[in-house]
Amino acid sequence: MCMVTKQRISTAFIIALLLIPLLNTGCGSSKTPLPVIVAGSFMVPIEDLETKFEELHPDIDVQVEGHGSIQVIRQVTELDKEADVLIVADYSLIPMMMYNTTIASSDEPYADWYLSFATNSLGLAYTNTSKYGSEINQSNWYDILTRPDVTVGIADARLDSCGYRAFMTCQLAEDYYDDASIFEQLFGNSFTWPVTVSGEDGIQTIHVPEILEPKNDRLVLRGNSVWLLFLLDAGEIDYAFQYRSVAEQHGHSFLELPPEIDLSSDDYATSYGSVMVKMDFQRFGSVQPEFNGEPIIYGLTIPNNAPHPDIAAEFVSFLISTQGQAILTDNDQPPIVPAQTDNPEALPAEIRELLQ
Amino acid sequence: MIKNTFQYLHQRRLTLTFLLIGMVILLFIFIPLGRMIFSSNPSVLWNTLLDKEVRDSIWLSIYTALIATAFGLFFGVPLAYFLARHSFPGKRLVEALIDVPIVVPHIAAGIALLFVFGKNYFGGKAFDAIGIGFRDAAPGIIIAMIFVSVPFLINSAKQGFEDVDERLEKVARTLGASPWQTFFKISLPLARRSIFGGTVMMWARSISEFGAVLVLTSHPSIAPILVYDRLVEHGLEYALPVASLLIIITLVIFVVLRYFAYGSKKQ
Repeated sequence: MCMVTKQRISTAFIIALLLIPLLNTGCGSSKTPLPVIVAGSFMVPIEDLETKFEELHPDIDVQVEGHGSIQVIRQVTELDKEADVLIVADYSLIPMMMYNTTIASSDEPYADWYLSFATNSLGLAYTNTSKYGSEINQSNWYDILTRPDVTVGIADARLDSCGYRAFMTCQLAEDYYDDASIFEQLFGNSFTWPVTVSGEDGIQTIHVPEILEPKNDRLVLRGNSVWLLFLLDAGEIDYAFQYRSVAEQHGHSFLELPPEIDLSSDDYATSYGSVMVKMDFQRFGSVQPEFNGEPIIYGLTIPNNAPHPDIAAEFVSFLISTQGQAILTDNDQPPIVPAQTDNPEALPAEIRELLQ
Repeated sequence: MIKNTFQYLHQRRLTLTFLLIGMVILLFIFIPLGRMIFSSNPSVLWNTLLDKEVRDSIWLSIYTALIATAFGLFFGVPLAYFLARHSFPGKRLVEALIDVPIVVPHIAAGIALLFVFGKNYFGGKAFDAIGIGFRDAAPGIIIAMIFVSVPFLINSAKQGFEDVDERLEKVARTLGASPWQTFFKISLPLARRSIFGGTVMMWARSISEFGAVLVLTSHPSIAPILVYDRLVEHGLEYALPVASLLIIITLVIFVVLRYFAYGSKKQ
């Protein structure tokens, strides 16, 4: 082929490539985007919900973004992102971080209601290459996690509910197994600035320092519990504190912990309440988060500055409908039927109807 | 006089048009950088510099990038010379392959590295035997930096060697210099500008790397990861001074190095 033709062909090729974006924007712009920010542990169910919802509403494009639950809310309250629906792994974050903070432009609070719609349980995810995976069980797990050749992954308690819940579970384990050294053995020497526990009035308070940084490579910390999954797959870590739903969704083995400590059951709500996690530092503006030990309850809200509140209400209605709940069940995430709210008056009418 | 000016402008239509168009992209680069640098006031920047976490991460970035660049020089320059002097079947393919790290998304590059240097894979196992681990450790940062930035060094050095007149090397050989002497006394010094330029580029590219490093190592945090962490954890006002500081430091080093690389070049 002569030089000139070759050049022409490549020029034409480059021009064609440059034109591709034009084609794309042509069809993409007709859909209404619905930005939804969700807890990392809800990424898989939300994708199924998104697919089904978009089938029913072809004119809507649900745009999902995942973070650790604390980060989900801060995207809106501190990083000025506009979202239509927020879904977090701990409902209590919504009143704690949104009811008293106001939107600068309107003086309204960021939110004034939440729905609790699903539960979960906390345990250990592992794979068939995890060290001692064949022998780990409900009575020896904390011992295996402290063995020198075992690497454990945990979410950052400052950013992700899964992180502070892992601390709670390990603290609850002390009572359950009658061994007051479990927490200390697991985390006592793991962080540059120590995570400490103090007991008062029968409540064990876990203090999380402002900088949480693993001191040795036996403990791996990530800002979002789901970022531990690929490390687990690659064999970089042997075990990760993880929600059951997430482990099941990703095909990992999951060690279920006793209900007394896995934060799954209403029956043990009182004893869960004997631990709390405190972050004694000014990191979140005026809010100093304190988390009481409670059963795991996922919560959602529509922020008051949502760009498409009506479509958001439709999406939430779909999520808590029978169809939506079936999707949750398929994803090993037990739905709360019917969903509960703290403030029925503030709910959009179509959602309120579904709570009966 | 006016007529002359008009004529002058008329003759330079192409130049002026291109200059105007070029200004758009120049401003596009300068305005955001300038705003970053001047948005934090000096006292905030100074306090940021006093923050140990910030200093540690900037220092970590600088020295891991230096180590990465040293590896790049040691392994890249011989390859560049080889490619500049020899042709063989499949050479185009090899050259294309060297460019691949530039085009792959860097998160993907990080994953690719994990599948070799992860502790369950052969590379990770081999290095584990000599006590080097890559997850959440400096070596993980360094290999990610090498992977994504060494193409800049290889390409630049190769260009440099190609520009060295091969006849000079032949003359040296006929005068009795060994191939090694010829390389170190003739080819390398003549190509040094390109090699140095490539080295600076590689180092700068290493400092700015984020995605590939993130997959392997998020603690200890290099400066770009710290900026990202501060942005998502604390918000814009905490990320901004760190980012400004990072820009200023890299800019200063980059300008100084470029001055040494090209400044004395007589055109």
